[in-house]
Amino acid sequence: MKGLAKSAVGRLQWVRFESIQDPGANKLTRRSMSPSVLQRIASGDQSAVRVCIDDYGALVWSIARRLSRTSADAEDAVQEIFLDLWKSAARFDASQGSEKMFIAMIARRRLIDRLRKTSAEPPMAPIEELETIAWSDPGTASQTASEAELATRALHELRPEQREVLELGLLHGLSQSEISVRLGLPLGSVKSLMRRGLIKLREYMNVDAQGVAVRS
Amino acid sequence: MAGMEQPPDEVLDLLIKELTEGLTPEERLVLVAGAQQANEAYRRDLEHTAAALSVAAASGDPEPLPAPLRERLEREAQAYFASLAATRSVRSVRRGPAGGWWAAAACLLLALFGWIRSPQTVLPPPEPTPALQRAALLARADTLKLPLGATKDPEATGVTGDIVWDSTAQRGYLRLVGMRRNDPTTQQYQMWIFDGDRDTRYPVDGGVFDVPADGRELVIPIHNVIPVHSLKAFAVTVEKAGGVVVSTRDHVVVLGQVT
Repeated sequence: MKGLAKSAVGRLQWVRFESIQDPGANKLTRRSMSPSVLQRIASGDQSAVRVCIDDYGALVWSIARRLSRTSADAEDAVQEIFLDLWKSAARFDASQGSEKMFIAMIARRRLIDRLRKTSAEPPMAPIEELETIAWSDPGTASQTASEAELATRALHELRPEQREVLELGLLHGLSQSEISVRLGLPLGSVKSLMRRGLIKLREYMNVDAQGVAVRS
Repeated sequence: MAGMEQPPDEVLDLLIKELTEGLTPEERLVLVAGAQQANEAYRRDLEHTAAALSVAAASGDPEPLPAPLRERLEREAQAYFASLAATRSVRSVRRGPAGGWWAAAACLLLALFGWIRSPQTVLPPPEPTPALQRAALLARADTLKLPLGATKDPEATGVTGDIVWDSTAQRGYLRLVGMRRNDPTTQQYQMWIFDGDRDTRYPVDGGVFDVPADGRELVIPIHNVIPVHSLKAFAVTVEKAGGVVVSTRDHVVVLGQVT
């Protein structure tokens, strides 16, 4: 808890410092002067499509691989996600958040929707076949943290079992029942671990309406 | 938002399930029915958190987008923008000179509304599916539910389903399981509503629909062009693509009757 509170103080400064020090935030500054890649796509600039795939293809592919049952599923999902992106590019507003987060949210929605539709199919790969997530070092320079770094840092603050169920559920797309079977835990315990873990993560990530992080 | 009230555990469990494995139409209905403004804001927060975690996990992932997939994406993007350009040119011909002003004003209003309402990256909630809308209609006290059965037509073997119909709202949904896929270029399924106040030779057209894959459950909104005052029976026929004004009733696959 102590570490969390200490990080929360840093979090207060995060958004303000990001716009000056974070390379990603430099993009934000540039975006305010020139249109972002999604804004260019929304205005019909087809050359921005390649830039978008260059910048975010690996991100979408990574999310899709983990939240799909097979590689073929993941490829189909990536196509659907990018089509969603072309269609919804005009809804992106740089003043409301980063392109990366916007794209990750669209990707996750599409992938969860696909998972739900195929929930009658055989379950996901056994746990030993799930790809290990290579979390980057959460680091200590809170002033330069991006939202993703903040999430990584918050994840490291959780109890190991909370972290495990959240990784399996949110990042590998396993249902709560599947997690229960794989970890040998009662379903109620899985729900409780997810609930408490996500509440803690959310508190850590919470940002108020002005875009400034809130002390917890 | 800092003081946002945490939803009760049962709502929170649904919000988490929505983020991990998705909700069934019934669960979504429960969430919508019990939702308050605070829950919606909480939901956005959780979605934002999950997205941040996904971005973080991806940042340690060295695998690039496969080259063949990338090529497919570029080809699809080209096709999409080409179709968009074609649509725009047709619209610009149809729309009068004032149309652009209305569109611009609408965009401005939407942008302003979105700016005022959205404190962070926000996507609008998913549109309710026909299955969800059917479930919502079914929850109303005055809604009629009529079971449907397959006829002896070989195309209809094993088909089951029902109609959910609200006479006041003139709104309803057809649910079918086990239908055979049709080729929409040659044939389509067509709905017919038999109204107690009308000549039975001329049932009300409920619209045409397609079955994209064999056997799956389908929920289809009924689009009756004429009001139905007293639903007595319902039928689905196979007709030529686009449907017909009056069916010969040679190929009736599903029937249901109010008893």
